[in-house]
Amino acid sequence: MTGEPGVASRQSPVAGCELRAASLEQDRAPGRASGTDWRLETGDWRLDLPSLGPGQVGVLAGEAGLGMTRLGLVMLSGHARAGSVAYLDVRGWLSPVAAWEVGIEPERLVIARCRDVVRWGKAVAALLDGAAAVLAEVPAGAKDVSIRKLAALARNRGTTLLLRPLDGTVPAGIAHLTLEAQEISWSGAGDGHGRIDRRTTLLTASGKTMRGMTRTIEMEDDGSNAVRVVSGVAVAETRSVAG
Amino acid sequence: MRRPGASQDEPGQAIGADGRVEAVNAAAFASGIRRGMRRGEAEGICPLVVTVERDYPAEMIAFESVVAAIEELIPNVEVVEPGLVFVPVGGAVGYYGGEGPLIERVVKEIDRVAGTGFRIGLAEGPFAAKHASAAAMGDPPVYLVEDDEAFLASLDIATAGREELVATFRWLGITTLGELARFPRSTVASRFGTAGLTAHRLASGRDRALNPRDLPVDLTVSERFSPPLDDLEQAAFVARSMAGRLIETLASFGAAPFRIVVEAEAADGTVRSRTWLSADPLDDRAIADRVRWQLRAWIDGVGAGIRGGLAALRIEPAHLSGTGRQLALGEDARAASEIHRAFAETQAIVGRDELLQAHPQGGREPGERVAWHRWGEEPVTRRDLEAPWPGRIPGPSPTLVPPEPQPFHIEWDGGMPTRVRLGSRWVTVRSWAGPWRRVGRWWRGEETGDQYQIVTSAGAFLCEIRGGKTWLTGIYD
Repeated sequence: MTGEPGVASRQSPVAGCELRAASLEQDRAPGRASGTDWRLETGDWRLDLPSLGPGQVGVLAGEAGLGMTRLGLVMLSGHARAGSVAYLDVRGWLSPVAAWEVGIEPERLVIARCRDVVRWGKAVAALLDGAAAVLAEVPAGAKDVSIRKLAALARNRGTTLLLRPLDGTVPAGIAHLTLEAQEISWSGAGDGHGRIDRRTTLLTASGKTMRGMTRTIEMEDDGSNAVRVVSGVAVAETRSVAG
Repeated sequence: MRRPGASQDEPGQAIGADGRVEAVNAAAFASGIRRGMRRGEAEGICPLVVTVERDYPAEMIAFESVVAAIEELIPNVEVVEPGLVFVPVGGAVGYYGGEGPLIERVVKEIDRVAGTGFRIGLAEGPFAAKHASAAAMGDPPVYLVEDDEAFLASLDIATAGREELVATFRWLGITTLGELARFPRSTVASRFGTAGLTAHRLASGRDRALNPRDLPVDLTVSERFSPPLDDLEQAAFVARSMAGRLIETLASFGAAPFRIVVEAEAADGTVRSRTWLSADPLDDRAIADRVRWQLRAWIDGVGAGIRGGLAALRIEPAHLSGTGRQLALGEDARAASEIHRAFAETQAIVGRDELLQAHPQGGREPGERVAWHRWGEEPVTRRDLEAPWPGRIPGPSPTLVPPEPQPFHIEWDGGMPTRVRLGSRWVTVRSWAGPWRRVGRWWRGEETGDQYQIVTSAGAFLCEIRGGKTWLTGIYD
């Protein structure tokens, strides 16, 4: 989709693909990577973010406005090819239009709204039984033990679980991949002219899939279903295609 | 058309699940709105028309008295939807001494319980009978069809089926059912496939000539409840599960039901039964809906209710045909059933109104472009997606859209936004775009507003200034 409104894009959604090897590096302090050493060479402008396989758990951290919900939808869209995906909406604010724009078919997206912390856990558990992937906002007050149980259930069911904490963090050690937004910038708008059309997000990636390393990723998003990693990706070579 | 609180002076219409007009009051009829019109077309003719959606459960409650009245005279009433029943009258005609006396008694009973507004058609097959009832006029409004094929031949091709198929027929010069029926079945089948064959069968008055399947097993699904259920939602939840099991079993035979018998046993031993008929194969969702409507009609409608609670529920499929739903490649009936159960359980946890799906529809604002519907129900779109919507802000769309605009605080300097308040802190505006003037539906009292995209280090926001106040209408998260 190139910015024209309308129905959901029919392009193949892309959430995760083959990870390209770069030189293995030790941990660096988070920051914008520089130099051509870090530029990801790919002829494919599709998503080169790390993604999650069946039964794996991901965490999308960052305040509202930093783009993590949209990133979550992009990661969900790959699983929507295999079956229904679910979004647990605590705030009740999710706009399906954004989901359609990243390529999730309307028939494949189920949205459950639940603010109550106790019922939230049960609802996520039930969704994990049926959906190919679940993106769940985590309400304030959700107990660590509940989140751990859900992670275990996701592994057991083979369902991908993405957690979006709204206030606070999730327990350590459960996430295969944690993506945390650090900075965001939008282009396209000026001083009262133009319109926003492209976003660049700086985020850090860590977790089991990162083999214990923390990497900084700069990501471009033009609102379509393609998110391009611009620079700063140095991930461990994987043996399988993710997403 | 009757709805509590609805004014008969204002034009009013009821919209069905397919977004078409299904009923109009006198004022709407006088303005030119007709049944079958698309909502947009009807509102174009009469912008002030009040639109309501069909409320099937409420309609079934009201209709239950009519069904019960007919059942007192003729058994085996088959409900298609609230407002439409088919009744096999072969035996009753002999019992009451002819069609005339039978019709007279039926008219009298319906008039007693429902008053005016009904029509009756009598024919060999249900398709002809349905259209005969639509054509019935006079007092009483009854239409007796002597020859189904001759009657159907004069009907417009629009009655044949789906819009796309009808459009193709018209393009080929076929304008009536009679013209369609004259084509050989093999020709229609090779050109139009199963849908065309169905239309041809209907046009030929052979809608009863289905390919009934007799399967070697008893396919009835049943549940007993101890203690008896006294909550309709609980019963509906169980019905969903039963419907899923039924369809899964039938799918393994490649069959699907066109008719189901819903039987409810109350704690006091009373058994109530109702047959539901459909022109299309019923899927699990359709079966669950009908069971829910029927239970509610028995509880809230005429009759003794379900005394003491629901002790047992049975769903018996009938009139099977080899046209079960084709599963997608890679899908299997068991997996589909498990997915359905999981979402049904989720619905029970969060509430029926909180498990949703959405469908695109036309509109300018992000919120307008979404037609929400409960999971398990048919989407209903209210605005034409294909129509131009000038003034719509191009994508990307905000990911988060509050159900109601939220107060938003922006500081301005010389007409330019300088900073935005987020929670307890102020954030500097980096760039901004707008305004896009939004002209509201002034005839409904909506105000005009100016929309802006505000970009800060903390993210981008969509907001609107209306009535001197600023409102947050979206977050680009």
